[in-house]
Amino acid sequence: MPMTSLERVLAALSGKPHGRPPFTMTLSLYGAKLTGCPLPEYYRNPEKYARGQEAVVELCDPDILFGPFALSLEAEAFGSEIKFLPLNPPNVRKPVIGSPKEFMAIEPPDINLHPGLLYLRESIGLLSRKYKGQRPICGVLTAPVDLPAIIMGLDMWIETLLFHEQTAVDILNRTSRHFSGLANALFSDGADFIALATVFTNPAILYPQLINTIILPALERSFQEVKGPLVFHHGGNPMVPFLKDYLNLPNVAAFAVDHRDSLTAARGILGPKRLLLGNLNGPTLSRLRLEKVLDKVDRILADRQDDPCFIFATSAADVPWDTPRGVITAIAEKIRSAEGAA
Amino acid sequence: MDLKTSRKKLLEFIFSGNRKEAIELLDGWSALYQYRSAITDVLEPVLGDIGELWASEKISLAAGYLAGKIAEDTLLKAHQREEILPETKGPVVIGNVEDDYHSLGRKLVGIFLRTAGWKIIDLGNDVPASDFVDSAVDNGARIVGVSAMMFTTAQNIIKIRQEIDTRGFSGRIRLAVGGAVFKIRPELVAEVGGEGTAVNAVETPGLMEQLWRSVDAHDLP
Repeated sequence: MPMTSLERVLAALSGKPHGRPPFTMTLSLYGAKLTGCPLPEYYRNPEKYARGQEAVVELCDPDILFGPFALSLEAEAFGSEIKFLPLNPPNVRKPVIGSPKEFMAIEPPDINLHPGLLYLRESIGLLSRKYKGQRPICGVLTAPVDLPAIIMGLDMWIETLLFHEQTAVDILNRTSRHFSGLANALFSDGADFIALATVFTNPAILYPQLINTIILPALERSFQEVKGPLVFHHGGNPMVPFLKDYLNLPNVAAFAVDHRDSLTAARGILGPKRLLLGNLNGPTLSRLRLEKVLDKVDRILADRQDDPCFIFATSAADVPWDTPRGVITAIAEKIRSAEGAA
Repeated sequence: MDLKTSRKKLLEFIFSGNRKEAIELLDGWSALYQYRSAITDVLEPVLGDIGELWASEKISLAAGYLAGKIAEDTLLKAHQREEILPETKGPVVIGNVEDDYHSLGRKLVGIFLRTAGWKIIDLGNDVPASDFVDSAVDNGARIVGVSAMMFTTAQNIIKIRQEIDTRGFSGRIRLAVGGAVFKIRPELVAEVGGEGTAVNAVETPGLMEQLWRSVDAHDLP
């Protein structure tokens, strides 16, 4: 009997043989294309989202499905105005606050009442009920250290971190509680793990001393409260040079690295047993020729052919709306035909 | 402290995130030689070094931001002391493209261009295509500089390209583009009709010089 997706992912998690590497692609948005669902409905109606993900399963049968990848909905829950776009997930229109201290005046959203957060939770619930025991479901949340940037704007968050340290710590305490609360709610709703892209952990964005004294301690406190496994995602910058700094964060079961990162180098830092995900550049799939895409897939598979703790995944944002379906199915077929780690 | 040491120290302060010491250094220099000298002799060369370090990813976005805040602070003090720095170049119209609210890059571009003596007309966030071209025509600007952080909003720059072309300003108003997405996807510059980009905000004055010179003065709108 062939393994189910769940068995394959669990095998990768424990380093056991799994025939071929498990794979997933960030097809949260793409489900709307497959079902012809207008995005303002897709990102508001959990049933329409779940239907889109069922269409993703029919298209390419990935081993992991994603909950809605719509980080702006969390900012909306904190009072931000969002804008729906025709071919992309909704985006935050503009910051709702004028100064860092105003952040503390915002009433944190109730994860059991706010419609946008309930949408995230119910989408996970529907997917979990449909695929429980067969296919892992991954919730996607904003890292507590990045949520302030979405709510107040990148410049104000940098300003706060650089020049208003205590305010930054206060804000992070608040977003950390939000993160752990919502993550635990998603686990209760059926998520098998939670992925979070982390931008402000990277020295390409912030001074290392601030990462060490403010950012990582905040993540540590927040992750400690989470009752399930986390996938630590690169957040748009190469992560391997700094990977060792994140190894001891609690409850992090896996690391998803950037397409520019070396998987071999990542494995060297993680050791043989930690789960590693990567690293096909998803947002480029709409404009690359198929043979070039498959060549990249081949190289990744060859690089990780003896790695039992590897999951093939697209990195970065959603696979674009205008990606031909044939590209996605060809990637899936290529991986299915691969020899897995023994 | 001599000029060479002052520049070295200022770079170290920015590199280590020390805003207070950086500003004190520039204030100290200004007390002796005026803010004009602090900007042109000390700050500008250091910004050049920052630009190179930023381009080679040896410093963070936060360090670039800090450099911008220090430049902004120093410019403000120069104006307060009526040491008006002549705006000898430009004007240039800048703004975030329609639907884009990520203002950090645009603000830094404005600061670094002003520091280099450019007159800037900043239209802010979420600017419709026609407003960019109207402003360029009204102010005699040869360049519009458009910022977009994400791929989705970068697509709206195509509307500005079309606006420039359909109104007959091709080659007379240059379109500079910038933002995080262009770093990740350099080919996007040409795809949206851009005629140049800079690897970071500090490098923008060089780009503007190049684009400005490429417009024949006889062809100005």
